[in-house]
Amino acid sequence: MGTARCARCHGALQSRDTQSLQKVWAWLIAGVILFIPANIYPMLLTNTLVEKSESTILGGVVDLVHHHAYGIAAIVFVASILIPLGKFLAIAYLALSVQRRSVINMHQRHKLYDVVEFIGRWSMIDVFVVAILSALVQLNTIASINPGIAAVSFALSVIFTMFSAQSFDARMIWDADRTAT
Amino acid sequence: MTDTPTPAPLDIQPGKPGLLQRLSLVWLVPLIALAASLWVAWDNYANQGTLIEIAFENASGIKAEETEVKYKDVTIGRVESVEFAEGLGEVLVHARIDPTIAPYLDQDASFWVVRPDVSVRGISGLDTVLSGVYIEGSWNDEPDVQQYAFVGLEEPPIARVDQAGVAITLRTKDGSSLTSGAPILHKGIQVGYLETPRLSADGQSVTVSAFVDAPYDRRITTNTRFWDTSGFSISLGAGGIALNVNSIASLIEGGIAFDTIVSGGEPVEDGDLFDLFESEEVARNSLFDDPDLPVLNLAILFDGSVSGLTAGAEVRFRGVRVGTVTDLSAVAVEDRVTGPLVQLRTIIAVEPGRMGLSEEATPEDALILITDMVRTANLRARLVTGNILSGALHVELYEDPDAERAFVNLGAEPYPVLPTTDNAIADVGDEAQTVLDRVNDLPIEELLTSAIDLMDSLDQVVRSEGVSQAPDEIVALLQSTREIVASEDMQAIPAELRAIVTELNGIVGDAGEADLVGRIGEVVDTAGVAVANIDAATQNLPALTAEIEALVAKANALEVEALITEATATLNQIDGFIATEAMQAAPEALVGLVDEARVLIASEDLQAIPTDLRRVVGQIDGILTTLAEADVATQLTSAINAANSAAASIDTAATDLPAITAELNALAARANTLDLEGLVNATSETLNSINALVGADTTQDLPASLSVALDEMAMFLAEVREGGAITNVNAALASAADAAQAIETAAASLPALSARATALVGQTDAVLQSYGERSRFNAETMSTLRDIQEAADAVSSLARAIQRNPNSLLTGR
Repeated sequence: MGTARCARCHGALQSRDTQSLQKVWAWLIAGVILFIPANIYPMLLTNTLVEKSESTILGGVVDLVHHHAYGIAAIVFVASILIPLGKFLAIAYLALSVQRRSVINMHQRHKLYDVVEFIGRWSMIDVFVVAILSALVQLNTIASINPGIAAVSFALSVIFTMFSAQSFDARMIWDADRTAT
Repeated sequence: MTDTPTPAPLDIQPGKPGLLQRLSLVWLVPLIALAASLWVAWDNYANQGTLIEIAFENASGIKAEETEVKYKDVTIGRVESVEFAEGLGEVLVHARIDPTIAPYLDQDASFWVVRPDVSVRGISGLDTVLSGVYIEGSWNDEPDVQQYAFVGLEEPPIARVDQAGVAITLRTKDGSSLTSGAPILHKGIQVGYLETPRLSADGQSVTVSAFVDAPYDRRITTNTRFWDTSGFSISLGAGGIALNVNSIASLIEGGIAFDTIVSGGEPVEDGDLFDLFESEEVARNSLFDDPDLPVLNLAILFDGSVSGLTAGAEVRFRGVRVGTVTDLSAVAVEDRVTGPLVQLRTIIAVEPGRMGLSEEATPEDALILITDMVRTANLRARLVTGNILSGALHVELYEDPDAERAFVNLGAEPYPVLPTTDNAIADVGDEAQTVLDRVNDLPIEELLTSAIDLMDSLDQVVRSEGVSQAPDEIVALLQSTREIVASEDMQAIPAELRAIVTELNGIVGDAGEADLVGRIGEVVDTAGVAVANIDAATQNLPALTAEIEALVAKANALEVEALITEATATLNQIDGFIATEAMQAAPEALVGLVDEARVLIASEDLQAIPTDLRRVVGQIDGILTTLAEADVATQLTSAINAANSAAASIDTAATDLPAITAELNALAARANTLDLEGLVNATSETLNSINALVGADTTQDLPASLSVALDEMAMFLAEVREGGAITNVNAALASAADAAQAIETAAASLPALSARATALVGQTDAVLQSYGERSRFNAETMSTLRDIQEAADAVSSLARAIQRNPNSLLTGR
């Protein structure tokens, strides 16, 4: 067989995962796809005695701004919208730069990768909020909060993005440099 | 120096994987994610529902994204947006409807906003106070051409589209007593509701949709009639005032009722038009006012005036309306006997259905029936008073048992002519005047006066002291009589009579001595001659007998029986009279009589009678003495001669004897025929009456009043005689008899009078009933109730407004 194996553990030996970029792209695309319904469909289904409301992520931010809760609005906006979008862009940029064997800003790109990988988990704040609210506010007819489709979508989107970041082999950033020299 | 052992050289063999092998399985993830997202998107789109548009004039309480659309209280959609139509005239509400429901939204679908509602019939929509309003829809269960734009109703419809039943349209001239939601009653049970009344397009009438629930809608046919129950009715009749209230709801909201009076109508369909009548009676009568209904036209030629009869007057048969007078006209008739003659021709239209014939009966059938009835049952037309106050007449088909035979003139133009009989027109004024006159003529006051007088007189008589003293008087009378008998003069009478006899004896002795016998022989001879004469006379007896027979016949011919009957009747009357209380006064008279008799007996004249008698006897004695002294025998001879001549005279008289005998016989016969028994009976009855009178309490009580003074009695008797009390009593009794006779006469006419009074009452009753329905009082009461109803409506609308906008109380708006 053409695959080198470790004599001790018989694990397949590979200096580079040749499918790394494929995985990055696949998870990334999946994350982006799910990010769309996560923003279109309601995140929270709120039923109270007198009214029944559905709120999307962006709608929630707008509501918060209307209620002059700018701080919270900013946090939600950053955590739920800016960071996921930033991650998409960052991963896409890294993957593209690797494919093009770009040799510029290799250190910065590596740092960017580290940041992306670190920050990815914090995007789940929104999902946690929804989960906690849904669990706590279940007062039958008087008031109840249920997660909407967007909550699932958003959670999956974040998870897929994290997989995407995990799939990225940071060493490939430097490969271009070696081949160039 | 130890070299680091170099690792074994790696056996690196670059693979040559193909494209498929190089393609990671991770690519399935975005594919799945894409598919899932697309599916969610499609599912969401597919399930978001059909967008419809509902136009409301008032969208109070409707909120976008919040207000739900419900069908049978189940949410089937949600309002998506609310906007104004062009021109701001309406509010357009866009709503998403469950796609499974959407196909049912065809043109019969209706939408309205459910708000809290408080009305007479109850409270509804209370749940919307908290949850807010919602839009309720109604449509039937059959999908049709789907619609996307609807016009919302401002008020909830009374009948839901999917409700089983029939929706009809009612037409009336006055919608004042109709309100939306007013009940439709059938035999007192609510079977449906009225919708909101609307003015018809031409403004001439009011139309109102009505919905009758199944299964009651099967009770409605084309022959059904609707009428306004108008809350309540007051009828004034012979039984007093009757107040009828159907239900509290109909009292306030009004209401209508219906009944199918005649079977055989066609089933109704939605939207059929019916007339709404103002009362049940009118509705029932209207059943036969259908102009399409075939009628039998008949002509009636009335003699005399038909004043009071108008076109439209009823034609009745046994009190039930069977037709209508359609025309009145004068028509010239050419009579062969009397020449041209103007008669009043009345055209009547008889409805075959009312004559007991079936619905399908034709006028020809009715004509055959009437022709038969005229022939067999003496059916005649006559005018009768319909309303005694107004004098209105109507035509009655009357079965006159006394009518002469008559036939329907089938050949007459333009219509067959019905024979007539005497009209029964009652003039209330004359009738009443006659009744009052008769009552007025009754001599009640005289009767009472006489009766009072009679009672007074009787009272006075009975109370008088004289009555009680009569026995005393009688005793006194007897004593007086005894005194007379016991008087010395009376005692002396026998002795003197004996002396007279002795003297007569002497005279006879003298007569024997004076050849009285020879004289007597002569006399006897003469008597024999007389007898011979009599004998000869008897030879004439046959003729006499004939005369006697004639006389007897004549006597027989006399109506002795009638006379006796009259006498008996007279005695009976006397008997009755004695039995009357008037005769109770007789004791006084008797007492007076006895009194007078006693006075008479006690008088010196009567006392002197024995003395006079004795003196007469004495004189006779003297005469006899004188006779004895004189030549008595000679005198006797001459007397015998006189007797002889007397016998001759008898002889002569014997000639007349037969006649006398005949008369005697006739008299005897007549006496025989006399109703002696009746007389005796009458007499005995009279005696019985007298006995009863004597046995009466008054008489029995006589001894109790013995102590009363004689003077007073006498005085009273004098008064009685002078005052003529008996006459007065008699006069009073005569008056009473007259009065009784008058009453009897009046009573004889009482049945007729009573019948007329009954008819009068009946007619008055009918009039009052006819007036009671539409009386001014009733109208005013109705208008008052309408005012109450308007006030209730105002309160209701206020409550509705407050409940629609509860915060208006707070905000003051």
